[in-house]
Amino acid sequence: MSSKNDILGNIRQHITDRYEMPDIDIEGIQYPDKIAQFIEISKAVGGDAIILNDDEDINKVIRSLYADAKVIASNLPDITIATVNPDNTADPHELNGIDLAIIEGEVGVAENGCVWVPQNVKEKVIYFISEYLVIVIDKKDVVNNMHEAYDKLTFNDYGFGVFISGPSKTADIEQSLVVGAHGAKGVTVILK
Amino acid sequence: MSTKHTKAADRFIANKEQETWHNETLWMVREKRDRMAMAIPEWEHLRELAAKVKMHTITHLDQYLEKFVSNAESNGVIIHWAKDAKEHNEIVYGILSENNAKKLVKSKSMLTEECHLNPYLINRGIDVVESDLGERILQLMNEPPSHIVMPAIHLKRQEVGKLFEDKLHTEKNNSDPTYLTRAARQHLRNEFLTADASMTGANFGVAETGDVIVCTNEGNADMGTSLPKVHIVSMGIEKIIPDLKALSVYIRLLARSATGQPVTTYTSHFRKPRKGCGMHIILVDNGRSEILGNKEHIQTLKCIRCGACMNTCPVYRRSGGYSYTYFIPGPIGINLGMLKSPEEYADNVSACSLCYSCNNVCPVKIDLADQIYRWRQNLDSFHKADKMKKMMSWGMKFLFMHPALYKTGLKFAPVVNHLPRFMLYNGLNDWGKGRELPRFAGESFTEMWKKGKVQTKNK
Repeated sequence: MSSKNDILGNIRQHITDRYEMPDIDIEGIQYPDKIAQFIEISKAVGGDAIILNDDEDINKVIRSLYADAKVIASNLPDITIATVNPDNTADPHELNGIDLAIIEGEVGVAENGCVWVPQNVKEKVIYFISEYLVIVIDKKDVVNNMHEAYDKLTFNDYGFGVFISGPSKTADIEQSLVVGAHGAKGVTVILK
Repeated sequence: MSTKHTKAADRFIANKEQETWHNETLWMVREKRDRMAMAIPEWEHLRELAAKVKMHTITHLDQYLEKFVSNAESNGVIIHWAKDAKEHNEIVYGILSENNAKKLVKSKSMLTEECHLNPYLINRGIDVVESDLGERILQLMNEPPSHIVMPAIHLKRQEVGKLFEDKLHTEKNNSDPTYLTRAARQHLRNEFLTADASMTGANFGVAETGDVIVCTNEGNADMGTSLPKVHIVSMGIEKIIPDLKALSVYIRLLARSATGQPVTTYTSHFRKPRKGCGMHIILVDNGRSEILGNKEHIQTLKCIRCGACMNTCPVYRRSGGYSYTYFIPGPIGINLGMLKSPEEYADNVSACSLCYSCNNVCPVKIDLADQIYRWRQNLDSFHKADKMKKMMSWGMKFLFMHPALYKTGLKFAPVVNHLPRFMLYNGLNDWGKGRELPRFAGESFTEMWKKGKVQTKNK
């Protein structure tokens, strides 16, 4: 505990002026068509976003997009093509080798293609370890910018949440963009 | 008058092709940043807010740290405090030993670089694996990063290809970035799956909630923390911000400023340990609390480590990260190095043309160039002023204080124009290196004025 007291004591000793907190209410950028902007930026960050029409079956749509996927993980009740329920695994290491994970997001952000995913499966590793990722969100939950998104954020007892914007990527070799560094090699957001 | 920086820069620019590539590539990143900034009408307002919120937070750091700690602890996170690098490293090793962890997978952290954690752990038998692609490449080469966001920016694909042939047994002469990245993916996937513990840095710590925020494009921090039973966060005390509302401001600025992306692929919020696992946060001071008392340099504590000041810096772009003697290069590194030890890192303060571009791109409006200027003014107090320059300025002061001597000197100055080249361009005249000297005018302005030769245009 002495280091804690030393550090806090040192901080108090060295602070001379205390600056006020500014008013941080800021109106962020607004888009005339949030959905169109969300789809456009999702493509720009290397992913994709599509609208699910009322007469379309989500399982068929996903199947057609990922025809080669064999091991499919999901705990969503509507997803009948899943072969693995990630909530039934004893150890996250077992989830290596998943071709496609289908998960649910809660907020989509038009300015940057982010989707807020509060942990909603037992092992969050499926968001990252799967070769491809489908995130399902409600069209109503697309907001303009990050300020609006943070106003809406929810956490649950898992105590983890992540904004995902497109596939995993790197440009560490000569600034040449490569998709699929460690996480998903492709991400499709389905707006239902 | 050459410094360690100029000597190292000489070596970097000897490879003209690579220097040009480095310069142009970083400028391209700067241009991407500009396009992002211009697409956000409230960009300047965001920068202003980000600067003010940071000033507020660091000058209330005692209160915010206590709030952060109390919230993190009630979330089940174990908090540790480290006064310096040594204590930090001991805490990490202690946690690993307690958990009987032999393999540690790390995501990018400049703080662990600052603390020299890797060699400390490796000496104690820990298998330390960097998982950011750039960092992994450098770890395999046994070299430090040359940029804080793009650590391997100084390397060419062929060098990486050769390295991977040796270490990861990739195909001969295949230096295709996609091929090499896929090879690294496979290699590191195995490391993730066999790690006993993981470590991340922290981009932000949110006092209101106790959250730690980590931003990556690769997803390595997330792969790392989702598998083993222990997650250690190494975090500088200045990373605290008040709340999630403030976080929204920084997240909008960070990736746009850093790489010209609208956001990083993953913005992860770690609030609680995974079920049945342990999460530790080490709060590191290592000199930061003292900077709070330094009015001229307190603003360095606002830094969010985006690297925009490096990408825009004409000296950094043309001399490379290894030219600087401190482990963080560029404008912010010059200042942080001087705060660490002016005696040791004074060579870097000349690596600046005072163009002020860094001040104008910094998302938290740090007065980077002003600070560099102030360090230079104070060099003599650290006994680091260049002897030759000191003598020159003494000489010039003497000359300017004696008008008669000055006039006589000026009268004979044009003689220099007729000196043979070897007398002007040699080892003794630093101003003659790498450039042509200007010619002295035959007559001084004062003489021309007196002779009535100076005419105003519209008489």
